[in-house]
This record gives sequence, structure tokens and C-alpha cells, in this order.
Amino acid sequence: MELQLGLALPPPPLIPIETFDLNSYGNYETREALGTNALSWPLLKLGPADNDINNIHHHNSSSSSSSSGGGAGCKKRSFDEAPFFDEKRNVPKTLHLLLWTNQPNDEDDDPSNVLHENSSSAIFKNDGEGLVGWPPVKTWRKKVHHQIPNGGAENNRLPAVENGIGGRASKSTYVKVKMEGVPIARKIDLSVHHSFEGLTNTLMRMFGISDGNRKSFKLTYQDREGDWLLAEDVPWRTFIRSLKCLKLIRSRG
Amino acid sequence: MQKKTAYSFPDEILEHVFSFIQSVKDRNAASLVCKSWYEIERWCRRKIFVGNCYAVSPTMVIRRFPDIRSIELKGKPHFADFNLVPDGWGGYVLPWISKMAGAYPWLEEIRLKRMVVTDESLELVAKSFTNLQVLVLFSCEGFSTDGLAAIAAGCKNLRELDLRDSEVDDLSGHWLNHFPDTYTSLVSLNISCLGSDDVSFSALERLVGRCPNLRRLLLNREVPLDKIANLLSRAPQLIEFGTGTYAAELRSDVYSNLAEAFCNCKELKSLSGFWDAVPAYLPVIYSVCSRLTSLNLSYAPIQNPDLTKLVSQCPSLQRMLVLDYIEDSGLEVLASSCKDLQELRVFPSDPFGEEPNVSLTEKGLVAVSSGCPKLQSVLYFCRQMSNAALVTIAQNCPNFTRFRLCLLDPKIADYRTLQSLDVGFGAIVEHCKDLRRLSLSGLLTDCVFEYIGMHAKKLEMLSVAFAGESDLALHHVLSGCESLRKLEIMNCPFGDKALLANAAKLETMRSLWMSSCSVSLGACKMLGQKMPRLNIEVMDEKGPPDSRAESDPVDKLYIYRSVAGPRFDMPPFVWTMDEDFASELS
Repeated sequence: MELQLGLALPPPPLIPIETFDLNSYGNYETREALGTNALSWPLLKLGPADNDINNIHHHNSSSSSSSSGGGAGCKKRSFDEAPFFDEKRNVPKTLHLLLWTNQPNDEDDDPSNVLHENSSSAIFKNDGEGLVGWPPVKTWRKKVHHQIPNGGAENNRLPAVENGIGGRASKSTYVKVKMEGVPIARKIDLSVHHSFEGLTNTLMRMFGISDGNRKSFKLTYQDREGDWLLAEDVPWRTFIRSLKCLKLIRSRG
Repeated sequence: MQKKTAYSFPDEILEHVFSFIQSVKDRNAASLVCKSWYEIERWCRRKIFVGNCYAVSPTMVIRRFPDIRSIELKGKPHFADFNLVPDGWGGYVLPWISKMAGAYPWLEEIRLKRMVVTDESLELVAKSFTNLQVLVLFSCEGFSTDGLAAIAAGCKNLRELDLRDSEVDDLSGHWLNHFPDTYTSLVSLNISCLGSDDVSFSALERLVGRCPNLRRLLLNREVPLDKIANLLSRAPQLIEFGTGTYAAELRSDVYSNLAEAFCNCKELKSLSGFWDAVPAYLPVIYSVCSRLTSLNLSYAPIQNPDLTKLVSQCPSLQRMLVLDYIEDSGLEVLASSCKDLQELRVFPSDPFGEEPNVSLTEKGLVAVSSGCPKLQSVLYFCRQMSNAALVTIAQNCPNFTRFRLCLLDPKIADYRTLQSLDVGFGAIVEHCKDLRRLSLSGLLTDCVFEYIGMHAKKLEMLSVAFAGESDLALHHVLSGCESLRKLEIMNCPFGDKALLANAAKLETMRSLWMSSCSVSLGACKMLGQKMPRLNIEVMDEKGPPDSRAESDPVDKLYIYRSVAGPRFDMPPFVWTMDEDFASELS
């Protein structure tokens, strides 16, 4: 796989650019110093000096046929060598808002971004269902799989399926919550609540109801038979087991 | 003799010529030729597609195109399908319906995807568009059977009602009864998403019985198996049929009725449904199998050998959707039996299971790629992959237009070499020059993105998760993929640099989604300030972004080009980074 670079130089900046230190990024003064001409030339340049982007790099052609070696044929390149300009490409040349500096950023130099790896698995786990948004399976399909009949008795090739249904929370613990007067429903995860107090607190926050106004709302729920009942009339366990969806209504009188 | 030039043609002739130009792209091109072509074209454009409902306002559309008969609108970003977009985000269709009600009384077709549709909207549709023929609500939500009742009662010319994958509030109500007895024009009905109380079966039977042009009928899960024979006997002209639940105790009368009913559907080409399917009733469709071009078994918990046996009877299949119960062995049979196969989707039966529950690996996909020369579109969920397999697949199928591979364990390496899968995906983009859509998974470094930027020149949509090591990866994609329209990224270490360096590119794309990445609030503000034709929306359910430092990464970022300016219907957890936002805080 050969890499051919057709390179074109960017238009020369109207004002000499000082290297922009990303660490002072949030510093408004620096930005203003770049002036009102910011739109007509790159604010941050990719590649240390335009003149140097005449190096043409060729890749090894082994990458397409070899099966070994991650990245065989792909040299890890720094930003300096990035093929930025392709004269055949039709990308507008104005409005690059970023100039690479020659100073390596911390994250570029650290190939094993261990911190990120840990955080991705730690932070984003959704109770009982793994990472949020992963795997990318539509809600429809998740529901179907959880309701696949237990075939364990007849077919002992599928213990995992059996465990999947029995072991983890097979029913989705999210229920719809509507508030009277608000057209759009929200969803709430019941598994993280263990009392009416906690549930009500979450709901008040979700719909932006202040503490003072709490008294004017009542929590109702629809049970499996389709009847609407007052949540406070039943014990928590009964409530949890029989509810299908929730609705906040304004209490009258 | 005076030479006639193009602009001296009477308008009617140009209009007539334009009527042959159906493609939106070509129409757009024609309208740019000169002012008079622009004028003529805009008066005779009948069909518009708005890929992002916030990219333009209904007023603007109506102002330019005064006589539209068919509209397609899309709302939420694609990752909304996977619960990454909180409820209340937006995508409301009511403003569009309200404006169009007055402007397009002759509107015939409404197609919506990922939009919030309320009963009020549906009632307005029924009242305003008496000539409505097509209503497609794809992955929509916010409405109930009351809204459907209004449509049934009001749209006397309705031909197609398709609710695929939508979330409908099941209020009890026999909405099907609202189709008047005089209504006979139904051609296509998809109610597969409806819940239990929504469908009165007798009303459905009567409806099916009186609509002789019904060609497509997709039932919901609650329709029992023993009712299907009756239904089919009233509609033997069906081309596409979706069953309800496909499980019942084996009874010979039910069985033979079903077999006969299917046998009498001489034009049946496509089957789906099969919820809870049991093997006992599968043979009733054998008479149809040889003609089937499309088969969706992705809700059927059927396993081998029954599953493979069924597949082997369908040599004309072009489109196959199935669960991973098919396993490698079944895919090998598919590869040898179905030489016309163009599209394959294999879904996971146990997506959250830690251990594999079926023997479905990369080998199945390799077999299909080898045996099916027309294969163009793949969506494949599995648990292991190798670069070697991907390279083979790429070499076998240079005609891929869509390739979506989902390895269930994020960041999983080539199981044979323990290397990243860069080379494998690189082969895909190198060999498949017409690739329009690509989804990556597995262990991937910046290298794969370099390959993508280098080779994937026709790529329009790219989905990335848990991949890459630095901003260089994102830079490769944004600077290299000339045809890129939609880019969606989750959980990747991409920050500000690539985004800001390629800010102009964002205006050439429909949208960019980045969640759980490292883009700072400051960069979002900068983009918002400098790029007035982009809407920069930051989503954070934990609290307003101004409570955090500029360098803090934003949780979710959605950037899209728009000529309508920032929207005003945002929920409390979405902030738009326009010029005002930055200035009121500094």
C-alpha cells in the first residue's frame, strides 16, 4: 500500500503566527491577541513550518496482504508528518481553527493511554447492562432476547443463555414517567431506588420541581391490569412489582 | 435563423424536462445553473428530503418550495437507537406539520425517522392532508393509538401506514375500527411494533378482507399463530408478510391450514416476524421458500439444525436477517445455497452475555463472503475476529457498500495474533472502493484511521467506538474522507486538536456526534463562536457546562450544519455553543 502525498502549501498567513500553547487554551487574552483576522488564516497550524511539508512518505506495501503485526506497514507518525494538504482535495482552506505546535501534547506521547482505558470501563457501566450504548443493539432487540424462552432443559448447549435470563436482571428496569401537562415522557431506572422518598426526590429533580412545590404533585402509577393507582396507597414492594408506568399529577384540593 | 438558447425555452418545457429528474442531488445541481432554472425548478420540485430536521426551518423550506407533495424528515442522531440520547432531546415534528398544514394541502407522503410525533401532530396530519397516501413513522415515539385512530378515520386515501420500530403508547382503543367500512385502498401496513392492547383482531381481519390491493402486511407479536391462516386466505396477493408470534402447540388442523394458506400466496417474496418461533411450524412455509428474496428471522430463537434446514430451502434469498443461532455451520450452508445474497445481518442472541453461547465466529462471515459474489451489505455481531479473515473478506467482496462489524467485547484484539485489527479494516477500505458505510470495532490504533482517510473516498457514514489513540486518528478521517457526511464516535480519546484543525470540514457534513471523548468545553465554545453555520450542542445531564472548567471534557457533543441557526426547543440538559453563550459567561 503506497502512500502518495500530493501536497499544497496553505496560503501564507497575513499576520505572523506565534506558536499557540494549548495549555493556555482557556485564556481569552491569547485568543484576542490573534486578532480579528482569525478567520482568514489558521489559528493553529498543522506541522511546524509549511516549508517542511515536502517530505513524501512511502509506506511499506505489506500491510494489505500480511496478516501479522498490528500496524505492519503503518509507521506511527507524529503530527509533523501528517499528510495534511492534498492539492487534489476540495476542502476549503480557510477556517482552520487550530495550528499544531511542534510541542508534543501529553496524550500523543503516551501510546498506552492507561488512564483512558480504565475510565472507559469504570465510568460508563450501566447497572446490569454493561457499557452504555454498547453493544449497539436497538432497544427492540434487547427486549426480544430477554424474552427468549428458556431452552435449557432440552438443549444443554446453551447454558449461557439460560444464565442470561435467570441471572441478570432480565427485564428492563426503566419505566416511563410522564408529568401532567408535559407532552414528553422521561424514563427512570427503578433498580437504583429503594423507597418512595428516593424515587420522589429523583422525579422532582428530573422535572425541575422545587421543594416548595412538591406538595402539589402526586405520584400515580399504572399497574399491569391497566388501572391507575396512587403510589402512596401501597407498600413499596407491591408498587415495584406491579407497576408499568408512572405519572405525576397535580393534586387538587 | 435565430439560435435558441437554453434560457429562451418556455418555462413549461424546462419544467417538463425537470420532471424526469428525480434524484435530489441532480435537482439541486440543476437549480444552481442559473436564476431562471432555480425559479422553475423550485416551483416544480415535489419531493424533499431533510436529513436533519434542525438543519433548516419549515418556513425556509416552504418559502423555497411552494408545492411539495412528499417530505422525508429525520430527527435524532443515529446513536439515539442505543440509548445515548436522553429523552426529551428534541426532534419534534409538530412545528413542521403546523407550517405545512397551511402550505402544502396536497401533501401525499410523510416519512419521518427518529422524530417525536405526538397525537396532536397526527390529528393535525389527518385534518390537514386529505390526500395523504403514505405515512411512515420509522423509530418514532411520543404518540399513542389515539393518534393512529385519527389517521385511520381521516386519511381516506391512505395507501401505506408503516410504524416500524416506533414506540407507541398502548392505550386501549380499537383504532383499526376507525378505518371506515368504505376504506379499501390499503397497500402496505406495518404494525409490528405495537403492544398488546392495540390491535383488535377482528377489525384487522375485516380491513384486510376489504383491501384487495394489500401487498405488504407486517403483524405485531400479539397476533396468535392460529389466526394467521384466516388472514392470509383473505390476502393471497401479499408480497410481503410478517407473522405475529410463531409459537403454538402443534395441532394438525392449525398446521395444515397454515401450510395451505402459505401455499396459496403465490406472490409472497418476503417473510418476517417469527417471534418465539418453534421448529414444529417452520415447514409450513417451505412451499414459499424457493421464491423468497427476503427473510427476517432475527426475532426467532430457532437453532440448528432447524434453522440451517430452513435456510437451505431458500436459494433465491437476496436479504437475510438472522440471529447468531445460525452459527458458522449455518452460514456455510447459506453461502452454498444462496448465490444471490446481497445483504446479511447477523444479530447477537445474547449481547450482554460474558461467554459465547453459540459457535459463531469470523469463519461464518468468511464463508459467506466467499460463496456469495453479490454480497454488498453486512451487519455482523460476533465475538472474535482476525486480520486474516478481514483481509480475505475484503478480497472476496470488493463490492461492499456497507460493512458494519460489531465485536461484542470492545477493544478485542485479533484472536490469532493478539495484534490490533488495523490491517484487517484497512484491507476493507482499500479493496472496497464503493464503501459508503463503515462501522468499526475491536482493538484499533490510529493506523486504521490513516487507512480510512487514505482509501475510503466514497465513505459517507462512519461509526467508531473505543478506538484510536490520539487526535491524529480523527484528523485522518476528517481530512481524508471526502464524501463523509455522518461521523459518530463514542468512547475514543479524541480531543480538541483534530476538531479545530478541521472545523471547515464540519460544514461539509451533515453531523458529527462525539460522546465520552475528550473534547473540551473551551473548544466547543470556540467552534460555536467561529462557525456560525454550525450548531454546537453540548449535552450533559449532570449540570450546566458553565459550572465546570474550560478544559473539562464535555459528556456528549453533537455538531451539525444548519442554516436555521440554533434551535429553541432544547431540553435543560442541552446547551448550544453559539456566540451568545461564550460572551455571556466571559
